Amino acid sequence: MIVNWPEKFARKGHEIFLSGLPIALHCHHYNMNLQKTLEASLGSEGGLLIYQAAEESSYAGFTSFLRDHPRINTIKSKLELASTSFQYCGLGIINFTQIGPDGGKIASPHSHHVTGWLAKFGKRESPGCFFTRGWIGGALAVIYNKPIGYYLVKEKECKMTLARECIFEVTTV
Amino acid sequence: MAIDTDKIVHAVMHGSRIREEKGIIPLFGVYLSMIPVDFYNKISFGFEKQMQQPDEAESLLVNAAQECGYATFAGVRSSREWAEVVQPMISNDKDQIYSFVSIAIAFGWGDLGVRELIPGEKLVMRASDSYEAKGYWDAYGRADAGKCYMLRGVAAAFMDLVYGGEYPDGCFRYKALETHCQAKGDPYCEFVARKAAG
Ligand SMILES: [Zn+2]
Ligand SMILES: [Zn+2]
Repeated sequence: MIVNWPEKFARKGHEIFLSGLPIALHCHHYNMNLQKTLEASLGSEGGLLIYQAAEESSYAGFTSFLRDHPRINTIKSKLELASTSFQYCGLGIINFTQIGPDGGKIASPHSHHVTGWLAKFGKRESPGCFFTRGWIGGALAVIYNKPIGYYLVKEKECKMTLARECIFEVTTV
Repeated sequence: MAIDTDKIVHAVMHGSRIREEKGIIPLFGVYLSMIPVDFYNKISFGFEKQMQQPDEAESLLVNAAQECGYATFAGVRSSREWAEVVQPMISNDKDQIYSFVSIAIAFGWGDLGVRELIPGEKLVMRASDSYEAKGYWDAYGRADAGKCYMLRGVAAAFMDLVYGGEYPDGCFRYKALETHCQAKGDPYCEFVARKAAG
């Protein structure tokens, strides 16, 4: 299954859409600044806010995308869609090799958030990929036909703390 | 020579198709991501609702946007893409601001336009379709104050970059207010950036 990504990415005047949902191009300065602001002011609640917003937005995005593409109908092709869309959106590389309907493990060797955080603020003491965690939870809920919030995604190792790659553990709530 | 927004939009749309093997988009000197605007609205307004003092949230979000707009567009201005596509169209300071606005349009930040620009003194930028205003209105209804924190910070950052002195010491030399906002029911959002007091 090959998705022609540039074709899915439509410009209507000043707006940009990906599969019908308005998107914006933002850079690592903004994304990391927002994360830092939220964490500095709200502590772990700030990270949770990013997680939940990413979960809702990826849930809505995949629901809309799969509705428009009924031929992407196997779990394998849906997982492939998820990792190519992560890459297409400039978010990085994500490998769904050890995942099933009850959860599993996901590795990300590169990501926008890791590259951006390290470039802007340097090493962190604790895992910081709240966006990617939420994004994974939302995508998997759609792929396995579960309600939003069905999966809990934790980050066991994070490249922002200089681990080799980010490792996410997915369990059911 | 006038600034050709279409040409800049085309360069951004074309350039943003390029991925390095890490799945990252390096363009105009920064790493770009494509994320639904809904995500940004949820975290900004969610943050504001969770903070004990919403005024503090507002100024933190505006400052985050201004600091990032300053760093982002400094990167943009020293990039290869800028030298190739934008620089040939620029003949004065004002053109730099117009080019920044065109790039912001290309990034999907709104239908922005410069209403007034007095060099060194004042920038009035207007949008009649800001995703922040729309997102606020859809989620919470009519607002009692302007809600476009990202664009407000960015308007001031544009002035900082062109009239604030040498990078990186010019950030926050200007300050912007949102005098009209569609989230309040106004027909458009308008941002006025002027020299910061003190
Ligand atoms: Zn990580
Ligand atoms: Zn507004």
